[in-house]
Amino acid sequence: MKIVVAYKWAPNPQDADVRPDGIVDLSRAKSAVSEYDPVAFELARRLADATSGEVIGLSVGAASIDTSLARKAALSRGLDRLVLVADDELDGADSTRLAGVLAAAVTAIGDVDVVLAGDSSIDVAEGQVPLTLAGHLGWLGLGRVSAVTADGAALVVERDLPGGVSVLAVTTPVVLAATADAVVPKVAGMKDILAAAKKPVEVLALADLAVPTAGTTLTTLATARPAGGVRQAVLFDATDPAAAASQLVGALRQAGAL
Amino acid sequence: MDFGLTDEQQLLLESMDELLERECPESYIADLDLSHQPPTSFRKALDAAGFGSLGFPEEYGGTPCDAVTLVLLAERVCRQGLNNGFGLELLQAMDILEFGDESQKQEILGLLSAGEVPFALGFTEPGAGSDNSAMTTSAVHHDGMVTFNGTKTLITNALQSKYLLLMAKDPGVEDPRKAISMYLVPMDAPGVTTNRLEKILWHISDSCEIFLDDVTLPESCLVGVKGNGFKQLMRNFEFERLVIAATCLGLAQCAFDDAATYAAQRVQFGKPIGSFQLIQLKLTDMAIKLENMRNFVYRTAWMLDNGVPLKSQGALCKRYCAMAAFEVADEAMQIFGGVGVTVGTRVSRLWRDLRGHRFGGGTDEIMVHIAGRQIVKDHS
Repeated sequence: MKIVVAYKWAPNPQDADVRPDGIVDLSRAKSAVSEYDPVAFELARRLADATSGEVIGLSVGAASIDTSLARKAALSRGLDRLVLVADDELDGADSTRLAGVLAAAVTAIGDVDVVLAGDSSIDVAEGQVPLTLAGHLGWLGLGRVSAVTADGAALVVERDLPGGVSVLAVTTPVVLAATADAVVPKVAGMKDILAAAKKPVEVLALADLAVPTAGTTLTTLATARPAGGVRQAVLFDATDPAAAASQLVGALRQAGAL
Repeated sequence: MDFGLTDEQQLLLESMDELLERECPESYIADLDLSHQPPTSFRKALDAAGFGSLGFPEEYGGTPCDAVTLVLLAERVCRQGLNNGFGLELLQAMDILEFGDESQKQEILGLLSAGEVPFALGFTEPGAGSDNSAMTTSAVHHDGMVTFNGTKTLITNALQSKYLLLMAKDPGVEDPRKAISMYLVPMDAPGVTTNRLEKILWHISDSCEIFLDDVTLPESCLVGVKGNGFKQLMRNFEFERLVIAATCLGLAQCAFDDAATYAAQRVQFGKPIGSFQLIQLKLTDMAIKLENMRNFVYRTAWMLDNGVPLKSQGALCKRYCAMAAFEVADEAMQIFGGVGVTVGTRVSRLWRDLRGHRFGGGTDEIMVHIAGRQIVKDHS
């Protein structure tokens, strides 16, 4: 099975600077593989190992995504090879544009059975790219994927939905977006990191790709800080522990926490 | 001079951060300290991620690794607040990989990969610590067997180890440098008894006395060459001093970070105490010591990697880092005030654990003895 993992080389939130006005400043943050994407790498590796398949990393973005460190960071996480579209024309591109470039790159790679992606990127966190990518490709797209296993040429996909776990029989090709906690990704060790430098990397020229034209352009009219939660302190008299526990449960229910 | 990290070092440190966040949070370390338990599950996780065999030769499933990278990792693990968290296993493996026979190598590497402490070093005796020539534990070879008698004390991790790497003397050889040999003695061998020593620091590492009463084993328990025990042991002492220095650096950095964060938050007289110059003076001097330690550790590691003879460097580095790190932790404790000495505060644990490094692996004073005579020799 030929599996592509679409990932983002994104600012590391650990280096984020939260300004007094609440703005999160990532301008001085060092970049890393976006926090939720290693889950997709791990799911892909397991699926490839079970099907004697291949895992290809794919990332698109500004020229800065193609550094020696960025290549090794991705390749040390279980990839067999890497494909990049690194062009400053994509600096600040919105999710629709990025999904279009990803779709063109997946087509250029050819014969891909599964595209796996993380839940969302750590910096933008819209969660739009995987399903927009599926739309561009004309493939089935599924979000909230918590497990995927091979069943012959098809897949069994589990989705973690608010109503419970849904188990689906899925035919390929398909785009799957994994939940952030679908699996615990393997930590890259020294051997993985050293081997990363020897794995093949292909850089595709943006101009050579048949990128679908976006039907519309997204315009951001305004941004606002998320509303802060309402905090309150309630003290219970614990002289009677059973009564205090009952009051606590009642208060939590009333607040919607239970 | 290039002070930058290589891609590989940077990625390895990021991987270690990931592992520490997942497998070694502060709550885990605090629990181990409180319950006096070793970090076995973290050791297993280190091994599963390939960190446990870093520096081992490839033929034993390891990945060769330079000393600079190893001290970077030791510093990072200890910066999490975990004492002796990384690197000492490598030293244990090296002792056996260099001098042990094949069955000893397989046994020790197997235990290491299971997250166990394979052996404790049986060196110190009630009458012999820094003065190793005063060692009295005897090893008498006879009929293909060897019989041990004597007492070892302050032996770290022996109660959780399967073996004791015992240093013992042939009473028939007068020259103490040729009398000591190295043996791998099972802790459950008949005649081996222990007495746990309770101490005020290093709670995740047990300490005990070990009594050897006519412990008789086949001569195959000898490690390396008979009479070369002390020389064999010394071979890895330079690297051990470096790992201890990196451990001190990491623990001191942890104490510094905690103190600086506390100083920025703790309000007295209407402002954070970090805005007072006396606190700033402490933090500044602590930062200078950390920078000195870091340069000392990295340069010593670089010397090892580049084959530059260390001479007195290892002893100088160990002495400086052990002392400076404790001074940093002591000032951190002062910044915390009364809160710092309460049980459960990380800074109190760091202060305790760092105190132990001023004698563990060689006292501050014996480092002067080692470095001082070398300095005089170099200038004679």
